[in-house]
Amino acid sequence: MKPKIGRALVVGGGISGIRAALDLAETGYGVTLVDRAPHIGGVLSQLDNQFPTNQCGMCKMLPLVERDAGSQYCLRKGLFHENIDIRLSTEVVGIEGEAGSFMVRLREQPRFVDPEKCIGCGECAAVCPVDVADEFNAGLSERKAVYLPVPHMMPNTYVIDPAACTRCGECVTACPTGAIRLFRQGRQDFGVLVVDDEYTVRDSIKEWLVEDGFSVETAGSGEEALDLMKKQPFKMMLLDIKMPGMDGVEVLKKTMETFPDMAVVMMTAYATVETAVEAMKTGAMDYLMKPFDPEDLVSKVIDVYEIQEASRGEEVEAGAVVFCGGTEGYDPSTGKNTFGYKKFPDVVTGLEFERLISGTGPGGGQLVRPSNGEPVRKIAWIQCVGSRDLQTDADFCSGFCCMYAIKEAMLAKEKGPEDLDATIFYMDMRTFGKTFQRFRDSAEKDHAIRFTRGRVHTVYLDEKTGKLMISYPGENSQRIEEAFDMVVLSTGQQPAGGMDKLAQTADFDLNQWGFALAEPFAPSKTKREGIFFGGAFSGPKDIAESVISAGSASLCASVALHSAGRGMAEVTGDAPEYIDVSIQAPKVRVVLCECGSTLPGGIDMKAIAADLKTDPVVENVFTIPRICTTEGWDLLVEKAKAKGYNRLLVGACMPYAHARRLKELGEKVLMNPVLMEVEDIRAPAFRYADAEASYIQKAMERNLRSGISRLRGVDPLPKTSVPVARKALVVGGGIAGMTAALAIADHGYPVTLVENDPELGGNLNWLARTIEGYDVHAFMDSVRQRLEKHPQVTIHVDSSVMSAFGEVGNFFTTIETGSQSSVETLHHGVAIIATGGGEAPANMYSHGENDAIITQKELEQKVSDKQIDVTSMDTVVMIQCAGSREEPRNYCSRVCCASTLKHILHMKKENADLSIYVLYRDMMSYGFSETWFTEARKAGAVFIPYTVDKKPVVSVPGDGSNVKISAYEPLLDANVEINADLLVLATGIVPSLPESLAAAYGAHVDADGFFQEAEPKWRPVDSLKEGVFACGIALSPRSVTESVATAEAAAQRAMRILTKSALSRAGVTARVRQSLCSLCERCIDVCPYGARSIDLDLQKVIVNAAMCQGCGNCASECPNSASVVDGFFDGRMLDMIDMVIE
Amino acid sequence: MEDFEPTIIAFVCNWCTYTAADLAGTSRQSYPTNVRLIRVMCTGMVDPKYIIKAFLEGADAVLVSGCHPGDCHYINGNYKARRRMKLLKAILPQYGFDEKRLKLTWIGASDGIQFARTIRDMVSEIKELGPNEAKHAAVV
Ligand code: FES
Repeated sequence: MKPKIGRALVVGGGISGIRAALDLAETGYGVTLVDRAPHIGGVLSQLDNQFPTNQCGMCKMLPLVERDAGSQYCLRKGLFHENIDIRLSTEVVGIEGEAGSFMVRLREQPRFVDPEKCIGCGECAAVCPVDVADEFNAGLSERKAVYLPVPHMMPNTYVIDPAACTRCGECVTACPTGAIRLFRQGRQDFGVLVVDDEYTVRDSIKEWLVEDGFSVETAGSGEEALDLMKKQPFKMMLLDIKMPGMDGVEVLKKTMETFPDMAVVMMTAYATVETAVEAMKTGAMDYLMKPFDPEDLVSKVIDVYEIQEASRGEEVEAGAVVFCGGTEGYDPSTGKNTFGYKKFPDVVTGLEFERLISGTGPGGGQLVRPSNGEPVRKIAWIQCVGSRDLQTDADFCSGFCCMYAIKEAMLAKEKGPEDLDATIFYMDMRTFGKTFQRFRDSAEKDHAIRFTRGRVHTVYLDEKTGKLMISYPGENSQRIEEAFDMVVLSTGQQPAGGMDKLAQTADFDLNQWGFALAEPFAPSKTKREGIFFGGAFSGPKDIAESVISAGSASLCASVALHSAGRGMAEVTGDAPEYIDVSIQAPKVRVVLCECGSTLPGGIDMKAIAADLKTDPVVENVFTIPRICTTEGWDLLVEKAKAKGYNRLLVGACMPYAHARRLKELGEKVLMNPVLMEVEDIRAPAFRYADAEASYIQKAMERNLRSGISRLRGVDPLPKTSVPVARKALVVGGGIAGMTAALAIADHGYPVTLVENDPELGGNLNWLARTIEGYDVHAFMDSVRQRLEKHPQVTIHVDSSVMSAFGEVGNFFTTIETGSQSSVETLHHGVAIIATGGGEAPANMYSHGENDAIITQKELEQKVSDKQIDVTSMDTVVMIQCAGSREEPRNYCSRVCCASTLKHILHMKKENADLSIYVLYRDMMSYGFSETWFTEARKAGAVFIPYTVDKKPVVSVPGDGSNVKISAYEPLLDANVEINADLLVLATGIVPSLPESLAAAYGAHVDADGFFQEAEPKWRPVDSLKEGVFACGIALSPRSVTESVATAEAAAQRAMRILTKSALSRAGVTARVRQSLCSLCERCIDVCPYGARSIDLDLQKVIVNAAMCQGCGNCASECPNSASVVDGFFDGRMLDMIDMVIE
Repeated sequence: MEDFEPTIIAFVCNWCTYTAADLAGTSRQSYPTNVRLIRVMCTGMVDPKYIIKAFLEGADAVLVSGCHPGDCHYINGNYKARRRMKLLKAILPQYGFDEKRLKLTWIGASDGIQFARTIRDMVSEIKELGPNEAKHAAVV
């Protein structure tokens, strides 16, 4: 894959940043991915389990086509893609220019540990005297100042936490490879000028700083300081504000005129703080309050020194910038009600709980009470801590805590004792996502998790029993006290730290909740062209939504890059012509890294070399002091250049790190990288740390031998590829379909849009406005007009798909149009299904028996046609979940609650005296719509919860008087009767995706008739069958803006394929040895990707090389060994088994 | 029998258990040296004949370990592996191999500790069972 000229910058390496970067990289752009943390993965690096499988599965996000361009190992271990340049510990400090040609200024924090040299041996941490809380374990354990940010990362190199490090230098001496530099040496040349009229102050400062290696001059007045500055250069000045004569501010002004780069820190007494703040506007970088702690002062100077001397600034070019900065977890100890957090060790946050039960966590995965290590028998979750709370300024719902609490409760059940009692205290269980409701039901029924409604007042400790007591309101508002062993606070999301500054730097706005502000109907767009948002940066989201949002953002970035003329032009340069070795007998050259003599003593590399040489297939064995250094690598290249062999085995540590460089090496020496391998020879030393050297040596040798036997068996195959018809088909002309079609067409690829109805627009034809007050029709018209005028778009209205077949790159679809039945067959490379859905029929609560009983859709239409006059009404009742969230429609339709709130606020505006009662099960006002829920309650609407076993009862009197609704009111513990002028039923959404349509493209529908995605979290808009995508309501119920996001995400997935003229096969791909094949077709059944089919004319089983993922299920299923996977042939496998058992 | 050190061949999937083994190594979770890892892309790739081959070559036990159910990188390869191992366990005794010598586990990528524990447990179990004598007798 050749990188395109277009380059994008993705800020933030969490889940959405990774998705956005991969999307853009797979489309062919170059990507710079930066994260201010020293690792990628964001919070997901700390989470082992995700619902609904309660496992991980993040690796499913990795590229599926052109797999070889990226890493193929656990994504939590790290990421590599040839089009992505990852910069860690790096921040964005400025963005100049405009869309298509931004210049972005980056600043990388000082690198104390050279990652090229660090071998991860841990000698440094062993001698480090500092202990600080380990953020990887959410502060539950301690780490050193030199540490591994994420223990399972690969390659794993140590970093130094500059804030904790005392610069004692122990690690520098301990490091066997000289990888650590503390930048102490340069301090002598870092001149600091201390200006204070008080002798004792300036002199003691001088003394402190000199002790830490800085060279310091002092001045007793402003004038003296300015004189000194003329004579000798200074890098930094500590400047007192209040001085007789020329005061600090004036000195600052004068200094800034002549030395604008000088770092000035003002020193101030309490009284002059405001002046100090003012001074910062004049150019001072910071201020210090007197009296100061010597340590604070010195560390400030060290900070400045390090930022100036050791951090590296750089400018990178980017046509588009995607911010995926994520969010921050709420810290309950900062709230009004802390629920005993930080006071009682058994009160933990959700994240802390995940770390506690993780195998890499502080307790090794045991579910025990942090206070005393005893097993947890009774545990509670308290929902909405730091969310839905006006007191903490969080009038929004974090949207993901309900689901993670259920997941955690299930995990607790799994890890804890059999009779573990798990309770979730909640206000509304917001199970609004696809399959969430069933997940919750199963938690309750199958896992006996108790769900208790009510806001918890307090958590306190019963001193006698040592248990945590929770007090909460029961039925009848009675107060109940219950004892627990452990309490988990389901803490929500907050805007990421430093949002204000970032918003200023990048010039985007923040919304009222402090998140990034997106444009109406454009969930990823900022006000500044070329700058986009992905993930939870613009509002709390769970993983699936973040992945969709990142897809949407990368699509927008791709459009921006493309329209700036930087889209699809490929960087020139041909694929290397590798030397053909297919007819030569295998000859393996082995190059061993001595790991800078850090291997345990007693290991004899020469003996290993001599031993290996006895194998006739081994051509020669070389050793190199350290391959991981630049010199080492050059040496390797040199060794590889000399002819005489045709397979190369490198024995080194960290095969992950080196494997990617083999490609580079292959291009240099014109050897196909499949003929090279890196074998881990260091792992045995780690793994068998206690064993004798001779044993380790043997293990190393065994590893090498198995590498040799693997190499002996490989044969570079001619690269085959699947040609791509670079056209798209979109089925469904609602907002999702229209958006997807437009997005692809904007990249210059032809799109055909098929719509059943005579008109485009779908549900937007009847939907008038959104809860935010945005005009839906105006939006729809603008999209439709652009679409109709677009030269790349062909629209077929009044049309449907008659039949379809094919595979990624080559689908054939026959479309039938209108009554005259004109038929047309299209050849296209991808298909996007956007067939939408509609309001579910109302066959309950006497709908149809009385005109006063209507559905939400009818209400929307009547309101916009002015057929309803609320000013003449007294009472309106709304029943939520009419037919939703119970079998057979056991899912939340997501949009109804927001719609109810919208109507309440509208009606209340028209008639403030109107009584509105909402009968609901759980108000699903997730995200920012929580604010509307608050507004609606403030406006006086009454919300009465009901349960499925006590549903409201509607009666329609025959005399034409008002509709009567009887409902159980739990606070009163009694039934209430309401006479309503209008009863509105929220019936929810049903899909309109014919099963046969999905099946025609090899996709499936789920139990509720929605499109079955490949994976609910990691691949939310794909089908398992490559080349088929879905968006909008076809996937699951969602709002207009959310539909747009899915449409853009689906278009982005499609773009990965359309931008290539052919999809090439990856190294590990299955084949059929036709002569052995008996056409039993078992392999076809067993292939999870539908990559195999039978060609009846040729009487052959065909493998689509682009769809095959190389899992090898076909090979083990095949009774004749006709199905084989490249790289894992039977012969090779049997050989390896032979080799490892001597 | 005191110093019998069993040889265990472990077929581990690239995505989960291999990562766990690696993690066990790098986080200094020491585990017995008896295990030899063979990395496969997925447990679904482990052909029963590889296992038989391992036994015939002298392995005292074979471990097949991959992703947890629902977590297989290739959707359901682990389920297929489970089915195959079940069948294989049924026929192993015919060759004279105790079916206890074949073990199938799910070890997720972050379960380094569990990997080390599994190997430890397996070694002590096999030590009790004694060496795989059938390899000498088996005629295939
Ligand atoms: S990928 Fe791990 S078992 Fe299939």
